[in-house]
Parts: sequence; C-alpha cells; structure tokens
Amino acid sequence: MADTLLEVKGLKTQFISDKSRIPAVDGVDFNIHRGETLALVGESGCGKSITSLSIMRLIPENGKIVEGKIVFEGEDLTKKSEEEMYHIRGNDIAMIFQEPMTSLNPVLSIGEQLTEGIILHQKLTKQQARSRAIEMLKLVGIPRAEEIMDEYPHQLSGGMRQRIMIAMAMSSNPKLLIADEPTTALDVTIQAQILELMKELKEKFDTSILLITHDLGVVAEMADRVVVMYAGQVVEEADVHTLFEKPAHPYTEGLMKSVPTLEKEQKRLYSIRGIVPSPDEFPKGCRFAPRCDQAMEECLHAQPDLYEIDAGHVVRCFLHKTKEREAKA
Amino acid sequence: MSHLLEVKNLCKYFPIKSGFLKRTVRTVKAVDDVTFYVKKGETFGLVGESGCGKSTTGRAILRLIEPTSGEVWFDGNNIAELPKSQLRKARRHMQMVFQDPYASLNPQMSVAELIEEPLKVHQMYASAKERKEKVLEIAETVGLNRSQIDRYPHEFSGGQRQRIGIARALSLQPKLIIADEPVSALDVSIQSQVINLMEDLQEEFGLTYIFIAHDLSVVKHISDRVGVMYLGRMVEMGTKHEIYDEGAHPYTQALLSAVPIPNPKLRRERIVLKGDVPNPANPPTGCAFHPRCPKAFERCKQERPQLTHLGGEHYVACHLYDNESIGHRGKG
Ligand SMILES: Nc1ncnc2c1ncn2[C@@H]1O[C@H](COP(=O)(O)OP(=O)(O)OP(=O)(O)O)[C@@H](O)[C@H]1O
Ligand SMILES: Nc1ncnc2c1ncn2[C@@H]1O[C@H](COP(=O)(O)OP(=O)(O)OP(=O)(O)O)[C@@H](O)[C@H]1O
Ligand code: SF4
Ligand SMILES: [Mg+2]
Ligand SMILES: [Mg+2]
Repeated sequence: MADTLLEVKGLKTQFISDKSRIPAVDGVDFNIHRGETLALVGESGCGKSITSLSIMRLIPENGKIVEGKIVFEGEDLTKKSEEEMYHIRGNDIAMIFQEPMTSLNPVLSIGEQLTEGIILHQKLTKQQARSRAIEMLKLVGIPRAEEIMDEYPHQLSGGMRQRIMIAMAMSSNPKLLIADEPTTALDVTIQAQILELMKELKEKFDTSILLITHDLGVVAEMADRVVVMYAGQVVEEADVHTLFEKPAHPYTEGLMKSVPTLEKEQKRLYSIRGIVPSPDEFPKGCRFAPRCDQAMEECLHAQPDLYEIDAGHVVRCFLHKTKEREAKA
Repeated sequence: MSHLLEVKNLCKYFPIKSGFLKRTVRTVKAVDDVTFYVKKGETFGLVGESGCGKSTTGRAILRLIEPTSGEVWFDGNNIAELPKSQLRKARRHMQMVFQDPYASLNPQMSVAELIEEPLKVHQMYASAKERKEKVLEIAETVGLNRSQIDRYPHEFSGGQRQRIGIARALSLQPKLIIADEPVSALDVSIQSQVINLMEDLQEEFGLTYIFIAHDLSVVKHISDRVGVMYLGRMVEMGTKHEIYDEGAHPYTQALLSAVPIPNPKLRRERIVLKGDVPNPANPPTGCAFHPRCPKAFERCKQERPQLTHLGGEHYVACHLYDNESIGHRGKG
C-alpha cells in the first residue's frame, strides 16, 4: 500500500447561523500519498476551498468542522490545539492562495514577510533567515533576488507575487503543499512558468501537493490522482488517466465534454443543463439528478453512495451500483 | 463576403498624470496602430494576455472611449469622426456585451426594464404594448421565461445574468456585437450554455461578432478568424486554421504551447517564455516582444515590424517574415 500522508475521512464543515446551517462540505473522503499530486476539481461553490481551509484549520469564523477526521501523519488535526496547528502550518503543511495580493501584507517588504516566517518556525538568526530567503527567491526563479527583498508587493507583477507566495510556502520544506487555484489569476504564459516551477519543486523535495483548480487542462498536466466534487460531496475519484479516459459519473463526463479544447474540433459544445444548486437548497436525492440526462426514478429519492467500480476508482452514482457488486463478486 | 467593419491604424493612448499639477508624465499606448477587418456574419476572435489592449480596442471602436487616432469604418461611416449627434444612431447597430454581467446591469431595474431600456432610448416601437411584447420575445430567445422577467439581477446566477446582458444587446437588432470576455467569469458547464446560445443567435439573426477572450480554446471554438494582440499591437491575424495550425509569430506559438490540454497523455514540451509581460507605459523598443522572444535577433531591438501578408488571410508582424530579414533567417 502506498504511504499515506493525509487522510480526510467523512469531513463535514458547515456555516451555522441562527436561521440556517449551510453544509458547504458534506462528507468528504480522500487520501494523499507521499510525493503525490492530488487534484481537487469542481465548479465554483462546490466546497474546494472550504475543504482545504478545513485541513489548515483556517475556516471563516461562522464555519465549523462538525464531523469527520483529518489525519496527518497519523494524528487527527481536528483534535489539535490552536497552538499546535500554528506550528504545523509553519512547518509541515503550507498553503498558497488564489489571489496573492490578499495574503501578502502590503506594508511589509518582501524580505520582511519571507524572513518573519523563517525566523519564527525554523529558529534561525536574522542573518541566516535572510540568506535562506534569498536562496528561496532564486529557487523560484526571481531575478535580482537581493533587491526584491527590499521591495513591496505592489511593485511586483502578478506572476512574481505568486512566485513569492510559493517561495514562502516552500521555505519550511513542507510535507504537504496546498495550492488553491495557484494560477487562475495569471496569464497563460505566466501560468506555464508557475506550473513548471511547481513540478520542479515537487521533484526536488518530494512534496505532496493538493492542487485545487477548476481547469481540467491544469489537472491533466499536473495530477497523479483526481477527486471531483459536486455540491459539497466527492462524486468521483480516480487516477488521472482513468478519469480522462473513462469518466464514470455523468457530471464528470459532462464537464469533460463541455470544455472546448485546442485538440478536438466540436461542431457544438455539450452543455449540462441547469445550474449548480446552492448549499441551502440541495436536492434530496442525488444532488446532480435535476441536471442529469440519465437520472432514474431512484435518483430523485435516495442519495447514492460512493461505489468502487475498479481498484481506486469510486463513483457516487446509481448507474454504477451494480458494477460495484460485479467488481466485488 | 464584404467587410462589415474596417479598423485602420487605431490608436488609444492614455495619459498618466502625476504630481500636484497633474502633469502628464507618460502615456500608456494601450492600443497602438491596430489594423484589422471583420467580415459580415463571421466571428472575429481577439486574444492576448491581460493588459494587451483587447478591451480598449473594443471600446474605442464603439467610441465608448475616444480613440486617439485612426479610422473605424462601419456601414459606410467613419465612426471615429462621426459627430456626437450621429453617433447614437450608428451605435444602434453595434452593441457590447461585458465580462461582468453583474456590474454592467443596473440593480434597481427588473429584467424586463433592463431589456426594454435600449428600445426606449432608441424609440424603436410606436406603442408601449408593442415594446413590451418585443421584450418578452427577446427574453425567450435567450432562454429567460415569463416568470423570471419581473425579477432583479441579484436573483440570477452568473450565466443567467450573462443571458440578460446578451438580451439587452440583441434588443436593438444590431449588426455587430462586441462581446468582451462574455464567458470568462462563468463555470465551464455554464460557459458552454452561453457559447451555444451565442452561436444559435448568430445563425438566427445573421449577427457578426467580435469575441474578446483570453481563453484560446474558447476562441478557437467560436471564431472564424482570429487576431492576436501583444502590448497594444496586432501581431498576427488569420483564419482559425492559419492561427492555430500554422501560427507564425513566436508569441502566438508560445501562447498556444502554454495552454494546458485536458488530456494527460498529451503532457508536452512547451515553449516557456522567460520574463513577465512588460509594462505598456514603457514598452520595449523595436518589436515589443523581443525581450521574451526565443528567436529575436539584432534588428528586432531596433525596428518595429509591420504587418506582412503571408498569403491567404494570414498576416504577421515579425521580422522573421519580412523580406529584408530573410537573410537573417537563413543564418539563424
Ligand atoms: N463564510 C461563509 N459563510 C457562509 N457560506 C460560505 C462561507 N464561505 C463559503 N461559503 C459557502 O460554502 C460553499 C463552498 O465554498 P468554497 O469556497 O469552498 O467553494 P469553492 O469550491 O472553493 O469555489 P470557487 O471555485 O468559487 O473558489 C459555497 O456555497 C459558499 O457560498
Ligand atoms: N482608463 C485608463 N487609463 C489609463 N490606462 C488604462 C485605462 N484603461 C486601460 N488602460 C491600460 O491600457 C492597457 C490595455 O488595457 P485593456 O483593458 O484594453 O487590456 P485587456 O487586453 O482588455 O486586458 P484584460 O485581459 O486584463 O481585460 C493596460 O495597460 C491598462 O492598464
Ligand atoms: S445517480 Fe442518477 S442522477 Fe445522479 S448522476 Fe447518477 S444517474 Fe445521474
Ligand atoms: Mg475556492
Ligand atoms: Mg479586458
């Protein structure tokens, strides 16, 4: 069995107010192995960010992990104290966010921001931290690294800011890097640079990556395995080749057919009808049923489980319930 | 096919003012000597990275901003020189759809009012009754039903709001629609719905589109011809086939190779460009692409390349393809 670094089990994260309870993440399971890149895909609002913020224990105040476990190197992060989490965030798990401007402090120089973390978490002197920071900047391909140390975030381009976020995240040599849409805000030529950089760093340090994206092209390029989310749940999981060759869930299949690509010419794009339901109005049967062309009577009334249809390939869809029996028989 | 629109040497320079006296310290050449044409009934895709001047080109054509210089020929008129009094009439035939459907819709107006507004402004129908009927018809065309049209924009999803934006643009039965990133803010499943809708409407009403986007796959799908912009300039232009299969400009080639393909078997070698997109307030000399270009040679630093005809409808602005440089190419 592959060496598991992180195990998310039955995770439920909700936003709770006097009037309502929003099940943003509603029973999510997946594992990340050492040295592996796992992609988490799905459309806006399906719960990707809240899943990753739950792992970091950084969910917004009105949110709460109400059920489930997050086991990192054998220890349940949901049970950790704030202080223990602070330590883990600085050392073992690091995160890069979609919009680097929101996570870089505009009034601190790049050098101050980079060395702050290094001094706190790695117990180095100021001088040592500075040379470590410069080394990291060079590693992520920042030209004029020494000068950039004294510059401020607004003086840099989007691509450079994203590199600095990566430098910061990688400076502690984390075992797990969570990257939430790391290239979505960037131009394609800059995106290509950042993706190459992430691949290089992964090779070099054997870091596991949880890559969150809605871009199937980025998934195909980067991931070893893929988890597809829809409406707060995992609807399919498979290795990247299986997922693209034999998508089993009607939603995954629909997504794949909906994106125009440079490779194939389509007369007309496939389109999934309807819209993604919001978490306060999930349908009571299969959450995809109102948009699904293959929905059956059963789909409208009961929620499908995750059925394993092949080794490592699971699908939440009644169409595949019998296949699981066959696979097991 | 005749040309519905001809843009000649279009420029839009923005002054950057600074200091107490607000003196102009520099200018941003957002659109710098751009020339192209759009044929009746086709879709012309305009691609390029953030800040290259796509939106400014679209807005200057409609004179939502005043062009600095150049000509915009539409329907026998040079829009760029049309007196303000005649501009409104000409604009009826050219409409714009915006990227952020939410920001471009007045939140105080219901969908019906939003669609009706342009009809009122242009006094399109004699009676209010006729006008209201037209509104219903247009709403239905874009897939909004009767029960929805008395609601307000915030009650709709992104894709539905984009339908409202399209309905507004359609209401005046324009000849040309400039769609500025109409699907960029949408999820893929919604994106394909809106693209299909735009294609259906084009067929039904014989519309001509300028489709602005940074997603090269989407542009390939929807366009007949494509223009590639870099730092305010049109660097290449041609049919979809000429651009996507025979792209000649090193920037076009790098751009296409940078697009991740949703097929894990096709993980490929790409041309990874060095460096960032330069600052348009301080563009490089000569060919604006030369500092990042893997094929640049001496002349590229000094001289700005002009659009050269490569045959068919294919044009490129690159010294690798103009006559005086053929010798260099042989050597390189
Ligand atoms: N602070 C909050 N309070 C209430 N609901 C929230 C809050 N943050 C997120 N949500 C809801 O939780 C759900 C999941 O949000 P999440 O940010 O995880 O989506 P996502 O998959 O990351 O989407 P995107 O692709 O748009 O980033 C959404 O429906 C969202 O509206
Ligand atoms: N009103 C303005 N004043 C000053 N500069 C402007 C103004 N509008 C645009 N610019 C500048 O002109 C250049 C071109 O901008 P434009 O919005 O046309 O780019 P774009 O290709 O549409 O980019 P994007 O893909 O980000 O929408 C940019 O450098 C921009 O900063
Ligand atoms: S369970 Fe039914 S409705 Fe849901 S995806 Fe499968 S076939 Fe479609
Ligand atoms: Mg998110
Ligand atoms: Mg724009």
